[in-house]
Order: sequence, then C-alpha cells, then structure tokens
Amino acid sequence: MEDKLLEKSYKEKIIRSPYLLLVPAFLFYLIFWFVPVVSSLYESFTSSSGQISLNNFILVFQDSLFLDAFINTLVFALLSLILQFALALSIAVLVNQNFRGSKLFLFIVLIPMALPPSAIGILWNTGLVESGWINSFLVTTGLQGLLEFLGILESIRLWKAVSGLEAVMTLILIDTWTVMPSIMIIILAGLQNFNEEYREAAQIFGATRWQAFKDVVIPIIKPSIITALLLRLISGLQVWLIGVMIFGFNNVPFLVERIVYYTDKVRTATNSYKLANAYSIFTLALVFTVAFLFLRVTGEKKGGYN
Amino acid sequence: MSYLKLENVKKVYNNKVTAVDNFNLEIEKGEFIAFLGPSGCGKTTTLRMIAGLESVTHGDIRLEGKSIVDLEPRERGISMIFQSYAVWPHMTVYENVAYALKLRKMSKADIDKLVRDVSKTTDISQYLDRYPSQLSGGQRQRVAVARAIAVRPKLFLMDEPLSNLDAKLRVSMRTDLKKIHQDVKSTSIFVTHDQSEALSLADRIVVMNQGVIEQIGSPKDIYHESETMFIAKFIGSPPSNFFRVEVKIEDGKLYLVHNSFSLEFNGNERESLVDKYVNKTVVLSIRPENFTVNKGGFIKAEAKIIEPQGSHVIINTDIGGEEIKIVSDLLELETGENILLGFADKFLLFDPETEKRIK
Amino acid sequence: MDNIWKRTLLYLLIVFISLSILIPLSYLVTISFSSQVEVNDYPKKILPSLYHNLAVEWDSENQNYILMRKNNEGIYRELYISSKYDKFRDYMKSQLNVDLSTERIEEDFLQAKNTGEPTEFKYYKSFLNNYIKFFTVFSGAERALVNSIKAALITIIISMSIGGAVGYALARTAIKRKETIRLASLIVRMFPMVSISVPMAVLLVGYGLFDSMLGLAIVYSIPNIGLTAAITRSIFMGVSKEYEEASLVFGATGAQTFRKITLPLVLPAFAASSMYAFITAWNDTAVSLLLTNKNETLALLIYKSIGGASSIHYAASGAIVLILPALVFTFLLKNYITQMWG
Repeated sequence: MEDKLLEKSYKEKIIRSPYLLLVPAFLFYLIFWFVPVVSSLYESFTSSSGQISLNNFILVFQDSLFLDAFINTLVFALLSLILQFALALSIAVLVNQNFRGSKLFLFIVLIPMALPPSAIGILWNTGLVESGWINSFLVTTGLQGLLEFLGILESIRLWKAVSGLEAVMTLILIDTWTVMPSIMIIILAGLQNFNEEYREAAQIFGATRWQAFKDVVIPIIKPSIITALLLRLISGLQVWLIGVMIFGFNNVPFLVERIVYYTDKVRTATNSYKLANAYSIFTLALVFTVAFLFLRVTGEKKGGYN
Repeated sequence: MSYLKLENVKKVYNNKVTAVDNFNLEIEKGEFIAFLGPSGCGKTTTLRMIAGLESVTHGDIRLEGKSIVDLEPRERGISMIFQSYAVWPHMTVYENVAYALKLRKMSKADIDKLVRDVSKTTDISQYLDRYPSQLSGGQRQRVAVARAIAVRPKLFLMDEPLSNLDAKLRVSMRTDLKKIHQDVKSTSIFVTHDQSEALSLADRIVVMNQGVIEQIGSPKDIYHESETMFIAKFIGSPPSNFFRVEVKIEDGKLYLVHNSFSLEFNGNERESLVDKYVNKTVVLSIRPENFTVNKGGFIKAEAKIIEPQGSHVIINTDIGGEEIKIVSDLLELETGENILLGFADKFLLFDPETEKRIK
Repeated sequence: MDNIWKRTLLYLLIVFISLSILIPLSYLVTISFSSQVEVNDYPKKILPSLYHNLAVEWDSENQNYILMRKNNEGIYRELYISSKYDKFRDYMKSQLNVDLSTERIEEDFLQAKNTGEPTEFKYYKSFLNNYIKFFTVFSGAERALVNSIKAALITIIISMSIGGAVGYALARTAIKRKETIRLASLIVRMFPMVSISVPMAVLLVGYGLFDSMLGLAIVYSIPNIGLTAAITRSIFMGVSKEYEEASLVFGATGAQTFRKITLPLVLPAFAASSMYAFITAWNDTAVSLLLTNKNETLALLIYKSIGGASSIHYAASGAIVLILPALVFTFLLKNYITQMWG
C-alpha cells in the first residue's frame, strides 16, 4: 500500500515537473540544430576517403573567387555597420523628441525593415537599370542637370555597371536603406525606456549636458545597443542575397554567396558539396572570431549591473 | 535678506496648462520647509524649478540674493534626492557618492575621506563596493542621501524621498533625515503628500492645492489655524469633521443651528458673522480630538463603529446624517453604546463658497 | 530664438528621410500598376496614372486606323496599326490594360474616320489588371501563395507551442539554471543560419522533408522558438501571479485559470510573436531557395522573376502582394515594438 502511494507521488512528480516544458524545445534543437552543426563540422574535416584532413579548406583557399569574397564580405560588414549605426543613432535621438507626427514618422521609417528581400531586389533592380526610376527621378526633378553641372555626374549613370568595391558600396547603400530602421528601433527603445532622472541627477551633481550623456546615458543604454550591433554585424558577414539579386552570381562574390552558389547551382559535382561545406565552416569560424573581437573592443563587462 | 526667495513664480506648460501660479515664499537659512499637497498640486514642479530642471515661465527665484533662474542646475549649489533615488545602476555605491566630487576635481585623498565620512553618517559604509541592484530600497535611499550631502549644498531638495519605502522604514528614516539636516546645518525643502510626514519634520509647511499656495505656516498653525477648508480636511488623521450650520440671531444672541444641535456663539468671529452671515449657512469645522465624550455634552449619538488604536479609540458615529469621527480616551466604550458629545470653542468657521476661514 | 532653427532643421531632416523611403516605394507601386507599354516609358512616373491619352487617326490611303499615345514628354507616338476593331481590343487589353468592348471601339474610332482628323480619347485602365495577371503569367503563383501561407502557419504552430512552453517555464516555474537557458537561446538566435543550410539540406532529405513546407517551417522555427520564448517569458513575468492566485482562491482549477485569466492577458504578446513567426516564413527567400525544389514559396517565386525585363510590372505587382502582410503587421505593432525589445 505504501509502495503504491510512493510510486504515485513519484509519477506525479515527473508529470508535474516543469522541466517537462523544456523537453520539446530541447529535442527540437538537438535534432534540427545540434546534429546538422556537428555533422557539418565532421564533414568539413574529412576527406572523401574518410580520413581527417584539411583538404576541403585548401580547396576553399584555392578557389579563384575566395580572396575577393573574403575581402568583400569584411568590407561590407564593417562599413555597413558603421554607416548604419551612425544614421540609426541620429534618427533615434530625433524621433525620441516626440514631435507632432512622430508616430507616423516611426511607421514610415519601419517600412523598409518589413519588406521581403525579394521585393527589395525588384525594387532596386527597377531603380538601378539605365531606364530605371533612379535616373527617372534625377531627370524629372532636374537633379541630373544640377549634378552634371557640378561635375559629379558626366551623363546618365549606369548604376549597375560597377564591379569590385564600387559594387560593394552600392550594396552597402541599399542595405542601409533596408536595415537601418531595425537598429534605430533598438536604440530608440533604449532611449525611451531610459529613466530621465538618472540624467537629471547627474546634472544636479555637476555634470554638463555632454558629461551627463557620456557618464550616465550611454553606459546605461549601451548593453542593448551592443547586442543589436552584434546581431547586425553577424548578419552583415552573411550577406549574399542582395548581391545576387542585383548583380547575379559570381560577379560580386561574398563568402555566403559562394556557399549558396556551390550548394544550389552546382549540386551535381562532388567537389562543390565539399566546397559549400568548408565555406560554411570557414564562415562560421569567421563570425565567431569577429563577434568575439567586437565584444572585446566594446568592453562589455560580464554581469555588469543587470 | 532671506536665503531663498521665490517671487510670483508661475509655470505654464504649452501655453495652456498652468501648473503653478502666484508662488511667493521666503526661506531662512537652516530652515526645514515642507511642500505639502495632493498629487498634481504643483509641489514637485515648484521644487524642480528651484532645482533648474524646469524653466520658470514668470517670476524670479533668488538664492542668497542672486537670481538663479537662468543658471544650469549644476551652477546653483543645490543637491537633490529623487523619488526613484536615481542612484546610477552602472556605478558602485562609492562611485555614486564620489561622482560629483570628481567633477569638482577634488583630490583623490579628499574625495575618499569625504565619501567615507558621509557613508558613516548614512550608515552605508559596508556597501561601498556594491552595485545598486544588490541593495534594498532603503539602502539605495541612503546612498541617495549620502550622495546629496557629500557636496555640502546650499540647498537640499528632496522629492518624496520616503514614498517608496514601507511604513516602518518610512517612520525611522524620517527621524534620520531630520537628524542629518540638523547635523549638516543645511537648508532643506521636502516635498511630500503625506501630511503626518510634513507635520513631524518641517519648521514651516507650504500647503499647495491645484497649483497655488493655500497656506504657509508652522505645523501648529497649519493644524490648528487652518486657513481653508481644504487644509482642515487634508491635515490631521482622522481629518476634521464638517457641519453645515445656519447663523441665527434670537434675542440678541447668536446661534449656530444644526438639525442636531444649536449652539450659542460668542467667539472672536461673532462680528463677522453678524455682518455677513445672518440667516446664511457657514461651515463649522471641528477636529476629532476636540469633542468631549460623556462629559456633559449637548449632542446625543450612537457609537456605531469603534476603532481601538491602543492609546485611544476612534469613534465613528453620525450626527444628523453626517458621518463624524471622534478621538477619545474612553478605551472601554462598546459598539452601539449611546454617547453624549460636546465641544467647547475649539472649532473653526469657514465660508461655504470661498472655503476660506471666517475670522 | 535658435529653437526655431533647430525645429526647422529637424523637420527638414524628417521630410528628407521620409521621402527617401516613400519615393522608391511609390515608384514600385507605379510600376506594379503599369501596362506593358508604360513599362518602357522613360522617365518613369512617380505616381500611377489612371488613364491613357490616346489618339486615333484614320489613314485613308492604307484604309486602317493608327493608334497613338501621348507619352511623358507630351509627344504622340504610334502604337499600333490595324483595320480590325477586335485586333485593337486585344491590343489595348494586353498592352495598355484598357478593357473595352469591340462595339465601343468601333463607335469611338468611327468618329476619327468620319472627321478625318486625329481624335483624342481618354481611356481609363482597369486598375487591378496586373495583379490578376500576375497569377496567370507566373505559373504556379497561386500554389506559391498557398505554400507561403502553409509554411507560415506551421511555423507559428511550432514556434508558439514549443517556444511558449519554454517562456512559461522560464517565467513561472522554479527551474534551475535559467540564465544558462537564456544564454543558450541567445546563442542559437545569433547563430548564422546559412552556415548550417548545407547540412540542413542533407538532414531534411534524410527525413524526407526536403522540398516540403513542413521542412521549411522547421528551419524557420529554429530562431523563432528562441524569440517566442523570450517574448512570452517577459510577458508572463509581466502578468502578476496574483491574478492567477486570485482565480484559484475563488474556486477555479489550474486549467480554468489558465484559460480564462492568464491566456487573455498574454494574448497580445502571443499575437505579436505569431506575427513575427509569420513574417519570418512569409518573407524568406534564402532558406526556401536552398531547401525546396518545385514547391516554391511566394517570396521565392518573386525572387526567381528578377531578371525578366519584359514582365517587371507583373513581378512588381507580385512584390506588392508579398509586401502587404508585413506592412500591416508593422502598422499594427509600431506602438509596441519598443516595449518588446525591452
């Protein structure tokens, strides 16, 4: 009798255990995340005959477009981050002042972030071609004439006829148009959730406006901004889709563009699977390294005051 | 010359909302002043104008004779404790207290001595290396106090510093604050909505309501010689009781007539009553402790609810349909007992329309 | 006084930024409403035009009508020459988005024939022509739309159930090592998705889930479960336990309390994270590109249509259809977005 009771309460304990709520998530990530990651790692360090080798990575480094892809990726990720952060910060401070119509402005600024990548591809493609709307706009508003007069433009510009770093710049501008709002939101959230009394106290106790901003406002809203920037940096390192939509494969290479190219376009050749895999692991390593360095540079203390 | 003077200070928001109007006050050095009033009465706004956190729409504020309305907060020589304490979360307690001193470019040694001194006074010495998130509300409040007195300010401003503490802590911190004020010999302005806090701490109280000053006076004046009905009702716990009585003259005698009693009146206000209020209604305000119970009175009543308070009881009854609260030392009284109430001259008279005191 | 300068600068900046966002979109919308002929117009118009300025001239020598159109520069260009009214009807419908009956055309054109002069007509376009055509021109567009909805719904179900459970556990129960779990979910959210798309493809093939909406939904759920867990956790923490306790005291069971008290209070957050999950699935191109073959999502279909220069107006209308859910979502949630990141 006693045993039965014990058994029952033990069973009840298992069923009522809150850890049960975590089990589905745990299983899900085990099967659909952990396993692929590990198998990918394994594959990348294994040659076709099954031995451990770095052959796959050598293939990557020998790939003719590797160096370009690597440089383009780094340049894109770093420059777009700086540009987008600067813009996002200024606009967030602007919107935070709660002027008339700021809610409407907020909605407008959020729109690019909500657009699906393929729609963005169509939007800018129709813009960048010679008879596209960018040139149409310049001509219709007379800016074309002005810019030619100032010597900035020589004639109707062929926006798509660029390559190399110039092409990367074009993509950075498009990406900024798309992505800057999401960074702005996070900075704005930090500013709006910020308790003004912290700043007021600093001003009472001797700080100028600038000192108060530097000593109190920035340190307090910093953590959320750092997280946002880190996520942006990681996304930036994985750029490919916008490059492909505007310039096509192989013309403006990026690391992940190589991955997609070898996975999708050349599915038949055996080497391409290895290349895709090795590129994946390389990119992964790059992302972690950059993320680590970024956190170091921005001096995030673990624990801090949260 | 007064230490701090506010002259006709007025604050208007957005050209529409007047938060503070006609504010005139002179404070002497060393005084402990309380701004008392309900939420939205303008007391915090006025404090913030003195601090420089809000601009003054009209009027002037002079500290030691010099106008400060155009000065930045940090140039005014003031110190402030915020309602939320505003103790900076990313700095340790030590850094919080030392911040202002660092900005003044004091030497490290001087800063250290000063920080440790005030920490001792406010009893936070053992927390100097901790972060605010690791402290309780009361401890954080003491950090805010330490920070405020470390700068040896001319004026010590406090915005409801005790409101976020639990009842017991509030009462003990009250005494601590008064003690610090005396030790440091500062001039303080204390904003609160709690009338018992104001009464126990302040040398003088400024009672505010809807943006204007109702009365300025010592706690005794405010309590016993309230200038308006608002003050009579707001101050005191339990608050004053009000009776609407008619002024009648019969046989040359003046009577205050209520449906439950009729009282012959000969006090100082008699002349004013005869002048303006014959056959009109005035409001008679009497504090709960000023009733006599079963000591030869003239009003019969039933003790409906009795609230024992240990040293005294609060009797809830009704006289002529109006609910009355009486404070008495008759600890043995029972619910439902019939009592005989009386009161002597300890009441005030108010004009029912202007709500001002009839003198 | 310098406040006025500040204000002016502020407003100028705001206008400039708003225009730089709205003008490209306006062009896109215009292109999506353009007829075939207008696609080749240059310069492009910012706002869609509702009608055409056409002119018809009767060529007595060759016994046929010449149809002309006034372009952006105000010049009439020849469009089409024929003697048959029904040929004009077909032409105007397919190339100009103008839908008129043969009888009406005959009636109007005869005026030109009778007067011998070029006669001007103003014909209104059938507005939603492109949008309807989109689904016929792009084979599989309808199916792609359905696929997108399917993938999105499955993603919502998976994310909300698994993620919601985690969020609730983190907020309400006494589980140890909550910080570790939070950190782990942050890492997973941060993890570069594309880097594992290669082994992901292999995995899905192995489970027979390649080229299926369920397979896509699983991949979309990987970051979304973490996100949902974070959102629901903070919402559950915001709902005071005392509401639930009050319900229990007044006689309700745990399940009833959950249904009648907790659920309605957390519904807004649930709605928000569902929308996030929906948008992830709806907008995605990269994952579906790599993990499907024939069963495309709508976003993928649009992606594939990039490059077809002659039918950009249909592609544009598809793009607009693609954009609409996200736009609605942003509008509904714009006030809460800052809170959600807190």
